[in-house]
Amino acid sequence: MIRVSLLVLAVIAISGMALFLMPVPINPFSASQMEKEILLYIRLPRVVTAFLMGMSLAGCGCILQALLRNPLADPYILGLSSGSALFATIGIMSGSAFLGGFTTPIFAFMGAILTGIIVGIMAWKRGGLWPERLLLAGIGVGFLFSSVLMLFMSISDAEALRRATLWLFGDLGMTDWSSIPYGMAFIGIGLFIAIRRGKALNTLLLGDDLSHSLGFSPRKETILLFTSVCLLTASSVSLGGMIGFIGLLMPHIMRAITGSDMRRLIPMAMLGGGGLLVTADMLGRTLLKPAEIPAGVITAILGAPYFLYLLRRRDVIG
Amino acid sequence: MVEIPKQVRNDNKDAMLNPALNLFHGLFQHLLELQKRFWALKSLVVSALLLYCFTAVAQPPNRIVSLAPSVTETLYALGLEDRIVGVTTFCDYPKEAKEKPKIGGMSNPSLEAVLSLKPDIVVMTTDGNPKEFAERLHSLKIKTYVMRARRIHEFPDEIRKLGDALGVRERAEALAKEMEGALKGLKKQVQKPKKVIFIIWAEPLIVAGGGTTINDALTLIGYKNIGDASAINYPKYSIEEIIRQDPELIFIGGGHDELKKLSAKLLYRLKSTSAVKNKKVFYVSDMLYRLSPRLIKGIEELSDASLEIEKGIVK
Repeated sequence: MIRVSLLVLAVIAISGMALFLMPVPINPFSASQMEKEILLYIRLPRVVTAFLMGMSLAGCGCILQALLRNPLADPYILGLSSGSALFATIGIMSGSAFLGGFTTPIFAFMGAILTGIIVGIMAWKRGGLWPERLLLAGIGVGFLFSSVLMLFMSISDAEALRRATLWLFGDLGMTDWSSIPYGMAFIGIGLFIAIRRGKALNTLLLGDDLSHSLGFSPRKETILLFTSVCLLTASSVSLGGMIGFIGLLMPHIMRAITGSDMRRLIPMAMLGGGGLLVTADMLGRTLLKPAEIPAGVITAILGAPYFLYLLRRRDVIG
Repeated sequence: MVEIPKQVRNDNKDAMLNPALNLFHGLFQHLLELQKRFWALKSLVVSALLLYCFTAVAQPPNRIVSLAPSVTETLYALGLEDRIVGVTTFCDYPKEAKEKPKIGGMSNPSLEAVLSLKPDIVVMTTDGNPKEFAERLHSLKIKTYVMRARRIHEFPDEIRKLGDALGVRERAEALAKEMEGALKGLKKQVQKPKKVIFIIWAEPLIVAGGGTTINDALTLIGYKNIGDASAINYPKYSIEEIIRQDPELIFIGGGHDELKKLSAKLLYRLKSTSAVKNKKVFYVSDMLYRLSPRLIKGIEELSDASLEIEKGIVK
């Protein structure tokens, strides 16, 4: 319990820093009109978006690692990120702006859902989703979409390429309040499913047979949880592009803190994931100011070494 | 088969050898003669060498391949359009350049395509072309000229050097002089420069930083570019910092309609800045994106905008 409250405190402290201290300190009690505006319309939506994205990515990681019984699973491995990235890039490069600022998020969202459906159909056999097939189909579809994405990028002109590349690393620089309600809705539904089915997920981790004998239907649970993963990934990618490593890393870190009961692990990992992405974005805004580094680059730079350290210390985590 | 008598064959051989011997003999005699007149020989050799050098210089490269849009524009400005045999897929100015054979992109030109055009010289830039490509061309004994200028003030001299390399020294000198004159005419000293920002792309927010031709242009005509606070040329910029710095003018480059739609959201977020409040936001062309003779027009465009502001005309 002490660990949990420490984590909550740390997340609150980091959010406070991201809001009031970096890149330039603003005192909320003696802020000028301009500073108030910066706080309310730039920093606050940014922190909230980063938190939501981090939450959904970490949640996805928890569910997928249990569902696929693979400690290296995250939204990337299921091809969902590549799918939404491909569609979002098509949206960016075709230059279509018929939906205004929403074009990219909507394309990304469609991409994730469509990829989820394709991977789901590929993994469907004898009336249910099979974890092994889900994993392999995800990897295959992911490769396919990544190469199509590469194709588009290699034939596009330099400016569009640069735009797409920056977006692919996760760009939180232009977030505002308008996209947050949509993100919140999808993440809320995904989170609700994940926590409600936490107990079933615990049993799935033990294998389909055991899960079945404990009174759950592995097929039904897998479909339900897979849907929630699609929703979570789609909302996160559409909020701010592709952010790596949080989905992979957070479940492992939190398992060390709270144990591996999904009903506790999922909410805690989401809290930690949110805090991590807020930190990454804060650093990205501050390190080279007034220029910015995409938050996804920071999470990768922070995340990869820590992941290697975990591998070393625990001899491949289970 | 008819057998040829031995005698005849020998005779034939002799007949074949004799003229050669005679020729050698004659040449030998001739050389002896020449050696007697040593000075005459020496002058002959020297003049032949001189003639060779002269023709080598006078024969400028006839088949030029350009590896960058800025290079292509400069070549056209030098009146070399007939000698350009290959350009990149991005070379879109002047319009006729689009008709030339393509050799691929700037960062990924096709070596095969370049070779198949049998160029006398390949003109490339340090800004955008891979260095390895120049090395490959060198190893294949193909001449290259690399344009190294990056900033506006370096450009006229670069034109002169390019003119030397391509054998159009006079035209290059004239173009360089013209540019220098125009730049001098545009130069403005202002007591308290207006703060401006030049937006390249709205989402993600990319602006022109300190090391760019755009920054040179803005400074030249008496503005203060907010973006030069960043060490990166085209940084992904902090929107917070723009609001804090409060620009009096906002330029949005590129000139696409698409960008107008895309920048609407950005401008809404910048609504508290003086530029947006006073409706001093200007959509300008992309003429300053390339180091080419069109720069002058691009700079004039920025100052024209400022004239419009003085008149109170706003877009």
